[in-house]
Amino acid sequence: MTAAPTLRPADQVMQPASLAALQPGALSGARALIAKMTRENWQIRLERMDVGADSAGTILYSIKAPKQEFSFIAFTFPPRSEGRTGRIIGRAWDMMCSLIEGAATEADIETARVELPKLYRGRATPNTLVWGRSNRSMRVFNVTLEALMVGRQPEVDAISNVCYLMRNTGLDGNGTFGTRPYAALGPDHALGGMLEAQLLSAYLMRELSCDLISHLAKLHAPDTAVPLARELREYFGVGNGSALGLIFYVQKHPRLIDSWIRARETTIAAARGLAGAAVDWPGLEALLDRAIRFRTQDRMYYESFTSSAQIAADLTAIRDAIPAVQAEALPLDALVTRHQGKVSPEALEMLLSILMEQVPAVAAAQAGQIAGADKLELNAAETVADLLAEIERDYQWALGIDMQAPDALDYVWYKSETAEEPRRGLRREIPEARDLGLDLPGDIQRLRAALIAAPQDQRLSRFLMAAPGHRFLIARIHGLRGLAYHTPYANIHSGSFVPIDLVRLMNVGLHGIDKTKDFLQRNLRGILFHGAPSPDTIAAGDARQWFYPPEPQA
Amino acid sequence: MTPTTEDTRPLRLMPREMRMMSERIFSLSAMPRGFALTLTDVPMLSEFLGLGGFVLLRDQMAVLLAAEPTAVQVVAESGAELTLDLAGQPAWVALHAICDLAAELVADHGQAQLTIRNAAHPAELAVAVLLAGRVGLGLTLTATPDGASITATPAPVADPAVEALNQTGQMLDPALWWQIYETARSALAPDTALSRRHAGVQIVNEDGTVIGRTDNDDDADVSFLARGARETA
Repeated sequence: MTAAPTLRPADQVMQPASLAALQPGALSGARALIAKMTRENWQIRLERMDVGADSAGTILYSIKAPKQEFSFIAFTFPPRSEGRTGRIIGRAWDMMCSLIEGAATEADIETARVELPKLYRGRATPNTLVWGRSNRSMRVFNVTLEALMVGRQPEVDAISNVCYLMRNTGLDGNGTFGTRPYAALGPDHALGGMLEAQLLSAYLMRELSCDLISHLAKLHAPDTAVPLARELREYFGVGNGSALGLIFYVQKHPRLIDSWIRARETTIAAARGLAGAAVDWPGLEALLDRAIRFRTQDRMYYESFTSSAQIAADLTAIRDAIPAVQAEALPLDALVTRHQGKVSPEALEMLLSILMEQVPAVAAAQAGQIAGADKLELNAAETVADLLAEIERDYQWALGIDMQAPDALDYVWYKSETAEEPRRGLRREIPEARDLGLDLPGDIQRLRAALIAAPQDQRLSRFLMAAPGHRFLIARIHGLRGLAYHTPYANIHSGSFVPIDLVRLMNVGLHGIDKTKDFLQRNLRGILFHGAPSPDTIAAGDARQWFYPPEPQA
Repeated sequence: MTPTTEDTRPLRLMPREMRMMSERIFSLSAMPRGFALTLTDVPMLSEFLGLGGFVLLRDQMAVLLAAEPTAVQVVAESGAELTLDLAGQPAWVALHAICDLAAELVADHGQAQLTIRNAAHPAELAVAVLLAGRVGLGLTLTATPDGASITATPAPVADPAVEALNQTGQMLDPALWWQIYETARSALAPDTALSRRHAGVQIVNEDGTVIGRTDNDDDADVSFLARGARETA
């Protein structure tokens, strides 16, 4: 039995605090990619491990999708401390890599070796999809290496508050450095979906870190070393740090944001409508149990987010309510509505992510439809009255923001000349910075005022000749017409805006990163592919639920 | 930083990079931001047409950045016909007005005839053909000494330039590109010690003290973060 599914309204979903609560789910990039690779039995193989005991060398993986082949070319370096930082302004990397289309030739490898270190001055080959960089977690890498060298696996206590050996410090693609634009790939390309090329690169960073450490252990202690155990290989993810640049991303890609949130909401609605025999009750309970254990075992410290202990308690309450919902033959929607406002927003969103697992076909279909070309064109033949009515109908959220508040424009969003690092600071501290953040509520309020002052039957073509500064916004409004989930309801320049909210939307929701620790309300550190299957599991098409991994047994 | 490459082979640039540099350079202009942002594609499209948009951007930068789009005026119109006077302004700042007016007249009359006059760099008016395609207009353009005569009719929405550029990129003289790159870089903020406090998981104060938790696993070189790039270069 199913009830008619409905999507949650935008004024509920698009509040920054709501977006910040989203949790990894079937539509998150990492999970969707693993699901797709598993469905299609992708073959990932280590082809070359030419690395010396000093960690310098070359590593090559081949990746075979059903109709396409890719290569992951990586260069590893001895770690050094000078200029080391998790920020993109860093100057020390332990690994640089390139994901290319096709089987790598020696020319591909040598070109990457020359060009990658140049970064902004470098040029990728025409078949390159991604350039990336990563650093080790020095502590976890070293403690794991030392353990393997003496023939044992590392202690769980030593790794479980980090959960990775290497951390991604940059994945550039989509035209940067001459890489192939995703718009050029087309729907039939094996990595043509949302962020798939970057996410595959991140997955291969995880694989590389595990293969590298086993290799180094063997080099350093050939008589005693053991390889990293499978259980640990899969428990380790790849670290990820993200910050302010993702706010620019959200502002620049409103169609993609809408497409992803709509796909997610559609999947959730389908799941909430399930009832009775249409529900896999044992599967639901098992996954909730797994999630509760995952949160209970979580050793991360969260500065301002709900603690995992609280979320585990909330999920336990939800799990305890399942028998009643089942007995009353209610749809899964009841499980949600009965706990709305009573459990933490993160726990409720975790429930919604778990419910999505009840409709895998819907999720897969929705994942395949996520797209968002950056095309925003205006219709200049429409009138001032048309646009004014549209703004007053669809942008009440922006019109309602107090742009006269004392702190409404306190902050400026800018990029540093070094590595183009996105930054946010008090405007008075850096008056020379050009503001790169869109002041959407302010601009919409100014546009509305200008429209009210103009002749109502005037065509936008004539309005824009006199007021060309409104052009970008009008194109944005027209280009997003009919879409509900394109823009967070926020004034990003305000002193009360919390940047981490939208970083969470991207990192946790879109990318699917677990255990995201927050720093200074602007940075996240988390784990991508935490628990993800090894290549042989993917190749075998073993679609086990890998997320919410339990801590390995000591 | 000056370009380090001595390679003189043409560079293959993708739309994202060309747009980013153009956006940054136009952000240096006196034009309203909401207009300047809509010029981002123009140098790239000019280059695609073989008109040399980035050379123009480099050589006429002062003129382009000082352009006044409101100086463009409709000076005559009758039915589906219209004359647009650019008052000596660069063609680039009139491209959107041309497309907008053509869209209006086509919506009302089924077709439009526009006369463009008094344009600086009139050859660049050809870029309007590509921009108009994005909104479902077909433009036929005949160049005149200081402008163009344009016929507009409905057409399927099309963006062949960007589709082609996404596949093959645009080959550019590296010396030209790195000049553009450096100019665009000047629109970014200097990397000072204070500015470095505006990002990152920690804030390193002038006295070396650190604000923020240290469980970030960054293994960070704090002395590196405490200096601006100009002190560390």
